[in-house]
Amino acid sequence: MFEPIAPGPRIGHNVGAGAQDEKQAELKMPKSLRILIWLAVAVLGAFALATIALHRGEQINAMWLVVAAFCTYALGYRFYSKFIAAKVLALDPQRATPAERLDNGRDFVPTNKWVVFGHHFAAIAGPGPLVGPVLAAQFGYLPGTLWILAGAVLGGCVQDFVILLFSVRRDGKSLTEMAREEVGRLGGVVAYVAIISIIVILLGVAALIVVNALKNSPWGAFTIAMTIPIALFMGLYLRRLRPGKVLETSVLGFILVMLAIWGGQWASQTPQVAGWFTLTAPTLALLIIIYGFAASALPVWLLLAPRDYLSTFVKLGTIALLALGIIALHPTLHMPPLTRFIDGSGPVFAGNIFPFAFITIACGAISGFHSLISSGTTPKLIRRETETRMVGYGAMMAESMVAIMAMIAACVLQPGTYFAINSPAGIVGQAPETAAATISSWGFPITAAEMHSLAQAVGEQTLYNRTGGAPAFAVGMAHIFSNSLGGQAVMAIWYHFAIMFEALFILTVLDAGTRVGRFMVQDALAHVWKPLGRTSWYPSILATSALIVGAWGYFLWQGVKDPLGGINSLWPLFGISNQLLATVALCVATTIIVKMGKAPYAAVTLTPLLWLVAVTFTASWHKMFDPNPRIGFLAHARQLAMVPATAANSRLIFNDRLDAFVTGVLIFMVALILIESAFLWLSVLSGRKQAGVKETPFVPSGFATEEQG
Amino acid sequence: MNSWNSEFQQLTSRLKSCLSVFRAVLREIFDESAYARFLARNRLSASRAAYGEFLQEHEVAKVRRPRCC
Repeated sequence: MFEPIAPGPRIGHNVGAGAQDEKQAELKMPKSLRILIWLAVAVLGAFALATIALHRGEQINAMWLVVAAFCTYALGYRFYSKFIAAKVLALDPQRATPAERLDNGRDFVPTNKWVVFGHHFAAIAGPGPLVGPVLAAQFGYLPGTLWILAGAVLGGCVQDFVILLFSVRRDGKSLTEMAREEVGRLGGVVAYVAIISIIVILLGVAALIVVNALKNSPWGAFTIAMTIPIALFMGLYLRRLRPGKVLETSVLGFILVMLAIWGGQWASQTPQVAGWFTLTAPTLALLIIIYGFAASALPVWLLLAPRDYLSTFVKLGTIALLALGIIALHPTLHMPPLTRFIDGSGPVFAGNIFPFAFITIACGAISGFHSLISSGTTPKLIRRETETRMVGYGAMMAESMVAIMAMIAACVLQPGTYFAINSPAGIVGQAPETAAATISSWGFPITAAEMHSLAQAVGEQTLYNRTGGAPAFAVGMAHIFSNSLGGQAVMAIWYHFAIMFEALFILTVLDAGTRVGRFMVQDALAHVWKPLGRTSWYPSILATSALIVGAWGYFLWQGVKDPLGGINSLWPLFGISNQLLATVALCVATTIIVKMGKAPYAAVTLTPLLWLVAVTFTASWHKMFDPNPRIGFLAHARQLAMVPATAANSRLIFNDRLDAFVTGVLIFMVALILIESAFLWLSVLSGRKQAGVKETPFVPSGFATEEQG
Repeated sequence: MNSWNSEFQQLTSRLKSCLSVFRAVLREIFDESAYARFLARNRLSASRAAYGEFLQEHEVAKVRRPRCC
């Protein structure tokens, strides 16, 4: 006999309008008016998309991208996500969620949907949606924008939504556990390997972005160096002086960071101090590797937690500020819709639009990493099943909007400036005049004098060869901010604010990722020898930290030493591994839908799955076997082997072969889970295997009774 | 006049409700709600020692929480 659960006092438990209010508001409006409004949204969206896609030879306003995005998201949420919720997943408001059944006030807490939405968005929003679109802007704004919109509405949002719901129906189980239970043992192993690989590659690439943004930049290096003592101070302040006052501490930390940015200007203009903070890429890489190792071994409350709070505070504020800046300034896009580099000869990274645009923009369109968040903390906070739609589908739409803003920030730059910042010296040449002449010869005029005055305006010695996307994004953001607030006089402050913002949360990803990876390795090693799994045993902590830091540190070092800037080979590798993780998540989701007896609707996850298989397998093939040395790892290794052997050359050849091997292993593993899943689907559909999912049995929800009453 | 008054009251109550949601979101993201729940669950009052205990309990969940790319 079910007894309604008395929810008790909960922070954020009963705030805001409920689902019923939403429904009531909808019912108040006459049906004909609702149809008219949605028709208007559809027409406006189509018109905005047509403007984006069909304008040639004329610059367009960034607001067309914003309008197209809002209309696409509104239609996707109102119709597609509603269809999935009703027909495919059959969300049940009467069914108790694990947050309600297992409520312990610690891991499982029924929480207001808006609060969960904010929490989930803060966890999924990282540097990816900012960097990917900036890099993909080398094709022009059109391919990236269309992929962000279509990828999110039909793929990314769907993945986040279904994985969240399936995890909710399984007591908040992780993706690996669901893969093992629903697909098979092999599925669990593949998910585990994919997660570890993506963490390692992600951390290597993220660190490389920071290195490229801070090399030879005393202002930037000083500001970021200062965030370490600021985070330590925050940790101590929170622990000793004002226990539990996290928001207050974060505001204080933010003020100190702003002072550090201001102090950075002084540091860059004081020759002796500037000398200490003018660091080469290899030095910065070594410092970040040492920092990563130390941060993963220090107590969480001292560095990781305060840095995480600070970075979240800055991240949410800056994203809101950027949105306001774009709306206030509504800038013109200088980048054409399509550039000559759609043929695959791009200087930022080599490769054709298909498949490379689709792996370059992962977060913002579809990101496998989100499936870890959707099957992590979030399902344990969901109060009612019906709220998974807003949290899973809705938060991904917000993340996708961040990617659109990043695309705008990159495309407001003059194309010549964009390519000068993002092209490696190996392509455009080391000397400013040579680089400017090469870029101008591509049809994007730029002079060395223009680049010099821009560098001076943002307080840098040079902006050439700053690959990785972060500096180009920072220049675009500084352009938008300084034109909306403060004018050109504060452009340097805005630029370093943007650099600090990106570096800060990349370093947070580095801290958190190293620890997550360390725990995963410890969990696995515990099967070999139990003490290795003990998370408080120092020899195990040090050994596993060294293993994870060594792995991503290797990729970082490889990127720093790469004459093509590192991003050319490492970002696609990251994109491939992230999309392969999404492939695993969609395999699990499709399997569950088939086993639920909903095979006719399996297309909702099968379609993005097939697309990702096409994209990732083609991209992997190109990265391994393409005869163009700028694209194919093995072709590049062969090219290097033809010149007289040196130690550095041998290392580069080894790196190319290693990258090809890693790509091959990932593809092989994902092919295995695909084959295993496909066999399972056929067995269930042909009746050879009984359908049935491993869901937690139905328990009626107390919240449903509460609302009905 | 009365209808204006009620409209205004409705607006302010909605605004207040929005602000309370916003505050709740921030408190959840920044773990202040988790600390309040910890205090309520263990019938403790806010103190340095209580926060130390909370951090110890919370640490395991915090370090296993991935941050997305």
